[in-house]
Amino acid sequence: MSNVRSTSIMGREFGDRVVLALVIIFALIMLAPVLWVIGLSLKANAELMADTNSVFRTPYTVMNYFNILANSSVFRWILNSLIVSTGLTIGTLVLCSLAGYGFARLNFPGRDILFVVVLLGLAVPEQAVLIARHQIFGILKLHNTYQGLILPGLSAPFGVFLMTQYFRAIPKELDEAALLDNASRFKIFWKVLLPLTVPAQATLGIFTFLWSWNDYFWPLISGTKNTMFTLTVGMASTQTNFAQSEGLGFLMAQAIFAGAPILVLYLFFQKYIVTAVSGAAVR
Amino acid sequence: MTRHFRSWIMAAASVAAMASASPAFAQDVTEISVQRFFGACDADFGTNTDVSKAVGECGIITSLINKFNADNPDIKATVTTVEWPGYDQLTAQFAAGDPPDIVTVHESALSDYQSKGLLLPLDELLATVGISPDSFTDAGRGGVTKEDKIYALPIDSWTMLYHINLGLFKQAGLLNADGTPILPTSVDELLAQAEQFKQKTGKPYFVQNLANETALFTRNLYTYLFQQDSDFFADPTKVKLNTPEAKKVFELYKAIFDKDYTTKNMDYGAAIQAFLAGEGGVQLNGTWVVGDYNASAATAGTALNSGGYAVYPYPQLFGGKKAQYADGHTWAVSNKDDRTPEQLAAIGKFLKFFADNDFEWSRTGHLPAFKAVLDSDAFKALPHRDTLAPIATLGTPLPSAVQRQFAIQDIIGEEMGAAVTGQKEVDAALTDAESRINELLANL
Repeated sequence: MSNVRSTSIMGREFGDRVVLALVIIFALIMLAPVLWVIGLSLKANAELMADTNSVFRTPYTVMNYFNILANSSVFRWILNSLIVSTGLTIGTLVLCSLAGYGFARLNFPGRDILFVVVLLGLAVPEQAVLIARHQIFGILKLHNTYQGLILPGLSAPFGVFLMTQYFRAIPKELDEAALLDNASRFKIFWKVLLPLTVPAQATLGIFTFLWSWNDYFWPLISGTKNTMFTLTVGMASTQTNFAQSEGLGFLMAQAIFAGAPILVLYLFFQKYIVTAVSGAAVR
Repeated sequence: MTRHFRSWIMAAASVAAMASASPAFAQDVTEISVQRFFGACDADFGTNTDVSKAVGECGIITSLINKFNADNPDIKATVTTVEWPGYDQLTAQFAAGDPPDIVTVHESALSDYQSKGLLLPLDELLATVGISPDSFTDAGRGGVTKEDKIYALPIDSWTMLYHINLGLFKQAGLLNADGTPILPTSVDELLAQAEQFKQKTGKPYFVQNLANETALFTRNLYTYLFQQDSDFFADPTKVKLNTPEAKKVFELYKAIFDKDYTTKNMDYGAAIQAFLAGEGGVQLNGTWVVGDYNASAATAGTALNSGGYAVYPYPQLFGGKKAQYADGHTWAVSNKDDRTPEQLAAIGKFLKFFADNDFEWSRTGHLPAFKAVLDSDAFKALPHRDTLAPIATLGTPLPSAVQRQFAIQDIIGEEMGAAVTGQKEVDAALTDAESRINELLANL
């Protein structure tokens, strides 16, 4: 009995160790490019131009980071990115929650057709509507404004789909119980159902924020004034023509600088992100 | 608390009223918007107005604009820096009706905007500030002239060059008695010298960036088509690439690749590193790296320092016209209905300032766009300018009426790259390149 148990434990421990070793190996492989980027960011550009392997030798410098900070526009670009990403995230959560509730709980003529129309939005690539959208925003004088950067992202068919599915999964008995207590539709939505969708809201919010923070193409052609650049566009604008060779250290410092807020976000919301990703996989 | 708040409001209102009433605060400054590539380098040159202390494209252009603003307190040139080459943004700005006043445009891209009436003809404006197109170099003037009008101020001519590691050339027995490199005069000679180089040094003759690259292939093709007198854009709306001349160029570069006379699988940055580390004899790169390579050659312990560095135009490999592909950077001015006469005058001053300071810009490694600078002792005294000066007459752009030259460059680069690296037959690549370009030009 004891032997059997021991073998079982040994077997499980051996298996666990193999898995752990594999996880560490894969983690290092995943981490290697990040470490490489950090290393390059701490080297002088001139040294890297001659030999990138100099990353393994002293001296190191933080001048590339000081050079970023010396560009007075950087903090403006960070502020712009924060305003756009936060505004877009809040707007998306509000609209998708309301739409999801409507599609899941309310009966109105054409609901199913409208839902299909919304889902069709998933099949339309952004590039297909880009020119028309750019022209409309031009007519409405929305380019180089925060509204112009936020509004296109509020059309979020995936978010509507996600929230609809979440609301549908909540038992209708909860609504009925609240109705018996004379609660209004909005009160049921606000007080009873919305708190139950926090995991979905976290998933949607995190993905929306990350997508918005990293978005490049629409801000590139809509926010064309230096003062309206988001961080991605602004950082790209500081690269010299042949940045990949002449300003490699500076370029890598920019990559770290631009990615740092997202890393901080990840550290704070790690639990939700992991739940969101695994939840999405299971679902 | 309320009284304090009121006091603050009153004070703020007073300041605002004074500002709007005082000419010194706001009224006399004419603002013009300038949009450029070449990157940002505020940490080093953000406040520098001593242009002679600036180095590199970014440093010099930043310092020049700083100096313009300092010299002209009645004008404020507000700069937006865009990622190279910035044409997605510029096109979007034109579409939205909000383009910058002055913008950097390659000569090869001018037609895209000029043909749609988006650029201001500059003949009159340049005349008012005393700039004559006769003062431009032939390459500069040709690059900015469209339908007999001047559509931009040329500031340089640039081209691809043979950057040479003289130490390895010596080892390969490819130096003349006077220490100058022996360069080929025909395709056969090039291949023979490349073989000799490989045998004697154990290294490839060429250092090329063949990975993630389209421009190098295309510029090489253009140069050697010009040298065969191939009029491949006789009709600016239709290319003829499926020709024996183009096939010769494709096959030359394929032979160089197949016989290991070139580095492989290197992107632009890797190729620069390889050349600076002495891993090959000739790097095909542009005018813009002359300064960096010269600095490396002057640094003890570097590969270029041991034997020396030289730089030359592409050798003449064919019996036709002596030529090589060239392009140039310009300042173009957008067409705007709501521009004031003061703004137009300020733009004229800006262009005049850059014309007067073209020597400073030529320190980047680019060739000047003004004859007087090209002929000046100061320019000739810059490193390697004696060997580079012939570019002013050799430099040949595509016909100015050819539109979408950046897109064409990508198509040719993709097809030639596929042929050279063996992913596609040469004939198929030429056919595909021709049909893709003509389809592009037919749908403008």
